[in-house]
Amino acid sequence: MKNYLDLIPVSQKIHRKQSRMARLCIGLSVFLITAIFGMADMEIRSQNAQAKINYGEWHAGLGGVSDEEAELIGRRPKTLACTRYDTLNYRLSMHYQVAGKEAIIIGFDEEALDIFPAAHLEEGRFPQEEGGVIVDRNMQKALSLNLGDGIVLSVPDGTERIYHITGFFGQMPMLAKKDVFGLAMRTEEFRKLPLEGAEGNHDSFVYVKFSPWCNIQREIRELQELFRIPDERVSRNELLLATIGQSKDVSMLAIYGVALLLAFLVAVAGVLMITGSLNSNIVQRTEFFGMLRCLGASKGQVARFVRREALYWCRTAVPAGTGLGMAVVWALSAVLRFLSPAYFGGMPYFGISFIGLAAGSVIGVATVSFAAGSPARKAAGVSPLTAVSGNASGRTRMKKAANTRMYRIETALGIHHALGSRKNFVLMSCSFAFSIILFLAFSVAVDFMEHAVKPLKPYAPDISVISPDNSCSIDRALAEGLMGVDGVKRVYGRSFAYDLQINTEGGARQAYLVSYEACQFGWAKDSLIEGSLAEVMEGDGILAVYHGEDSLRAGQEAVMVLDRDRSVGMGSGEEERQITVSGVLSDCPFHSAGGEEILICSEETFEALAGGKDYTVIDIQLERDAGDGTVEGIRSLCGEEMIFSDSRLSNAEVKGAMYSFRIFVYGFLGVIALICAFHIMNSIAMSVSARMSQYGAMRAVGMDGGQMVKMVAAEAAAYGVWGMLFGCLAGVPLHYVCFDKMITYRWGTGWYFPAVSLCVIGAVVACSLVFAVYGPVKRIRELSVVDAVSGR
Amino acid sequence: MEILQVRNLSKVYGEGESRVKALRDISFSMEKGEFAAVVGESGSGKSTLLHCIGGLDTPTQGKVFLEGEDLFALDEKRRTVFRRRNIGFIFQAFHLIDELDVEQNIAFPLLLDHQKPDRERIDELIALLGLGERRKHLPGQLSGGQQQRVAIGRALVMQPMLILADEPTGNLDSKSSRDVMDLLIRAARHFKQTVLMITHNDNLAADADRVFRVTDGCLKDMGGKTHEKLS
Repeated sequence: MKNYLDLIPVSQKIHRKQSRMARLCIGLSVFLITAIFGMADMEIRSQNAQAKINYGEWHAGLGGVSDEEAELIGRRPKTLACTRYDTLNYRLSMHYQVAGKEAIIIGFDEEALDIFPAAHLEEGRFPQEEGGVIVDRNMQKALSLNLGDGIVLSVPDGTERIYHITGFFGQMPMLAKKDVFGLAMRTEEFRKLPLEGAEGNHDSFVYVKFSPWCNIQREIRELQELFRIPDERVSRNELLLATIGQSKDVSMLAIYGVALLLAFLVAVAGVLMITGSLNSNIVQRTEFFGMLRCLGASKGQVARFVRREALYWCRTAVPAGTGLGMAVVWALSAVLRFLSPAYFGGMPYFGISFIGLAAGSVIGVATVSFAAGSPARKAAGVSPLTAVSGNASGRTRMKKAANTRMYRIETALGIHHALGSRKNFVLMSCSFAFSIILFLAFSVAVDFMEHAVKPLKPYAPDISVISPDNSCSIDRALAEGLMGVDGVKRVYGRSFAYDLQINTEGGARQAYLVSYEACQFGWAKDSLIEGSLAEVMEGDGILAVYHGEDSLRAGQEAVMVLDRDRSVGMGSGEEERQITVSGVLSDCPFHSAGGEEILICSEETFEALAGGKDYTVIDIQLERDAGDGTVEGIRSLCGEEMIFSDSRLSNAEVKGAMYSFRIFVYGFLGVIALICAFHIMNSIAMSVSARMSQYGAMRAVGMDGGQMVKMVAAEAAAYGVWGMLFGCLAGVPLHYVCFDKMITYRWGTGWYFPAVSLCVIGAVVACSLVFAVYGPVKRIRELSVVDAVSGR
Repeated sequence: MEILQVRNLSKVYGEGESRVKALRDISFSMEKGEFAAVVGESGSGKSTLLHCIGGLDTPTQGKVFLEGEDLFALDEKRRTVFRRRNIGFIFQAFHLIDELDVEQNIAFPLLLDHQKPDRERIDELIALLGLGERRKHLPGQLSGGQQQRVAIGRALVMQPMLILADEPTGNLDSKSSRDVMDLLIRAARHFKQTVLMITHNDNLAADADRVFRVTDGCLKDMGGKTHEKLS
C-alpha cells in the first residue's frame, strides 16, 4: 500500500454488502439512462429507415423549377443529390397501358435511385440512351420479361411507343395495391410523351437531398429566395427531417420539447437514485470515517477518500449498466427485425447506440462525482471522538418521538423510520415519485402511438380478388379452391347488393347489403354495440352500422324494397321484404360515400333477400412465410378477368410502423417500471441495512418476526404512499402538458385522466413494495442478535 | 425459590483448527431475588454465557431452565415472547430506540406485547430512575448515565423474573456507574428480581450476593459478599 487511497479496495472488500448495494444503484441508474437513450436512438433510426422507404430520402421537393435551375441546385455544395421527378397516369385516368394493363409512368434522373430506396435498381442499369426504360418486378414476372426485351406502351392519343428494358426495380406498395405496372425513364424520354388528359403538366418537380450536417431549413429558404419559389410549391419530408432534428414543423417542435423534457426527467431520476444511495452508504459508515480521522486523516483526505471510492464503484457499475442497457436495446432491435424484416432487416444485430452509451456513462460518472460531494463533506465533518466514544452508530438524530398512541408500536416505528428524517424522507419519496412521474410522462407515448399509427385491422386482407363490375360474379367455389393454395391462411368472401331502398318509420333510406361468413362475423363481435350477432348469423335479421343519431336501432323493423332489375337477383320488378335489425355495429370495414345505410347479413339471408349466391369480393390472408409463389398460385386460379389487389407491401408498412412504435414505447415503459421496482427494493434494503443493529436490539428485547415484517412494511408503505402522492401531484399535470403538446395540438383529442397508467404504476409500486419487504425481513430473521447487540 | 437453572451448558464456535470452546460444561442455579456478578478476562466467555442464558444465542449443548421452562425447547417465536415477558436485558451500549422518548422506551416491551402501559407503574419507575424531568426526551438528548437508566427501566417494566446486564456501566464514568449500580440493586430488591450482571469492575462485583468467575469458558462460583477478595 503506497497511498492511503489504496485503502479503498480493502474497504470495499470489508463493506462488501454496502458496496454491492451502492454499485447496484449506480448500475441501475446507468442502465436506465443507457436503455432509455439507446432505445430512443434506435427508434429514431428505425423511423428514419421507415421514412426513407415510405417517402424517400429527399428533404425538400421544389415545384416549378427549370432544368437550368435544377442543375444549379444539384451543384450546390450542400446538395448531396437532386433529381427531376414527374409522373403520368398516377390516378389511372389517362390510360397509359402495357399489354392491356394500366401503367404509371415515372420520369426522373439517375440520382433518384439514391433518393428513393424503394425504387432501387435490382437488376440492370439506369437508361442512358433513347428508348430505354426500367420496369417493376411485377411487370417483369407478369410478362416474363428479360433485360433488353422490348415493350409496347399504348398512349392515350392512340399511338404506341416501343421501349427496351435496361433494368428492373423492386416492388412498390402503391403499384402492387393498384395492380398496375410501373415504368420509369429518363426525364428527357418522359417529356416526349403526350400530355392529353394529364393530371398536371411537364413542369419539373425537383427532389433534393441535402447534407444532414447543414442547416437544411436555411438551405431551403435560400433556394426559395434564389429561384423565387413560393411556399406552396415547396414540400418537405417532415418525418425524415424530424428524425435528424431538422424539422421546423410546429407539431414536431412540440414533440422535440417533450422529448427533451423526458430526457431531462430520466437524467434527474438517475441523479436522485445515485444521490440517495451514496448518502445512505456514507451514513452507515460514519464510524469508519471517524476512525480514519482518529488515525490522523485530515478532513480533505477523508473527503477525497469518499469521492475516489464513489468513482471506484463506477469502474464496475458504469460498464455493467451500459452493457445491460445495450443488451436491452439489442433485444428490442432483434424483436423488431424478427417481426418486420422487410423494414428493419437493415438494422444491425449488435448496433451500438453511442448516444445511449455516452448518456449512460457521462451522466452516471458525472452524477456520482456530483452526488459524492455532499456525503464527502459529511464524512469529512465526522468528529474523531465519535469513533472512539461509540456514539457514531450512523443513526439519524431524531427530533420527534414516534406516535405510539395512534398506531401499534411496530407500525409507529416503521412510519417514523420513513418520516423521521425529513431530508431522507424527501429524497426517498421524491425518487419513488420520480419513477411514477416518468411512467406517467412516458405513457403519453402510448396515446401518441395510437393516434399516429393505425394498427392493421384483423380483417385486413393481404390479397383481394374483386369483381370488375362490383357484381356478385365471383364463383363461391373459387373461395374453396383458394383455401387449397399452399401458404393461404384464411379466405373470406362478401357479396354486395347496391341501390336498395328501405322504408322505416322515419321514411325511406338508401342502403346496400353485404353478406358475411363466420370469420367476418367473428371480427364484428368487438364492434357490436346493440342487439345480438348470433341471431344474424343464424339468418334471423340483419346488422346495421351506427353513423349517428339517425342510425337504425336494434329491434327496429323495416321494409326492404328490392329492385330486381338493378340488383343482383333474377327476375324483374320490385319486391318488398320485411327485415328486422337484430344488432348494431359501431364500425365496419366499409364506408358509404353517399350516406347509404350499410346492412350486413348472413350468406343465407343475402341469398334470400338479394338472390345472388356468388361473391363480389374475396379477401385472402396469407401465412407469415407465404411468398410470391402463393400469390402466383392465387392469381392463376382467379384468372385475368378479375381485379387483383396485392396489399402485402402496404400492410408491411403499417405493421412495420406499428411494431417499431409499440416495441419502443412499451420498452420504455417496461424499463421505467423495472427501474421503479428495482429502485424501491434497493432503497428499502438500504434503509433496513442502515438500521440492522437497531433491529438486533429490538429482537433482543422481544420483538418477534411478525412485528419485524409489519415494521419494515409500514416503512415501505409510507414511502410508497407518499411517493405515489407526490408522483400523482407532479405526474398528472406533466401528463397533461405532454398530452397537450403531443396529441391535442396535433389531433385535437382532449386530455383524459390517466387512470389506467396510474393503476399500472400503482400495481408495480405495490408489488415492488411487497418484494422490497420480503428480502430485508429475511435478512433480519437470519440476523444474529448477538452480533447486532455486540456491534460486530 | 430457584428461578434460573443452567445445566451442562457448552458453546463451541467454528470447526477444525479454528474450533473454539467458548463455554465448557457450565452448571449453576440462582434463587429468586438473588443478585450475581460474573467476572472474568476479556474473551473468557462471560458474554456468551449471558447470551445463552437469555436465549439470544443457542448453546451447542446443555439446557437453561427459567422457572422450570426449558428455554431451548421453545420454538423461535415462543422463545421471543417468553424472553419479552420474563427476561430483561441491559446492554453496555444501551441500545435504546432512537425514535421513542424516555417513557416510550421504558414501555417498549409492554407495547411489543400489545399491552396498555399502566401509567402508575411507568410513573413509579420513572421516579425510581430519577428521570421525571426527562420523560419526553429522546435518547439523543440524554447523557450516557441517563440512557442507561432508561435501559434499566425498560428491563424492569415487564417485571421479569430475570434481569441480564452485560457490563451496564462499561460506557459510563465512575459516578454514573455508581448511580446505575445502586439503582439496579435497589430496583432488584424492590421488585424482588433475580439479576445476573457481567462486570469488569471488582468493586461493583463486591456489591453482588454471589460472584462467578469465568476463565477459558469454565465457571467457578466464588461465593457471596463474605468473600473479601474476588481473585
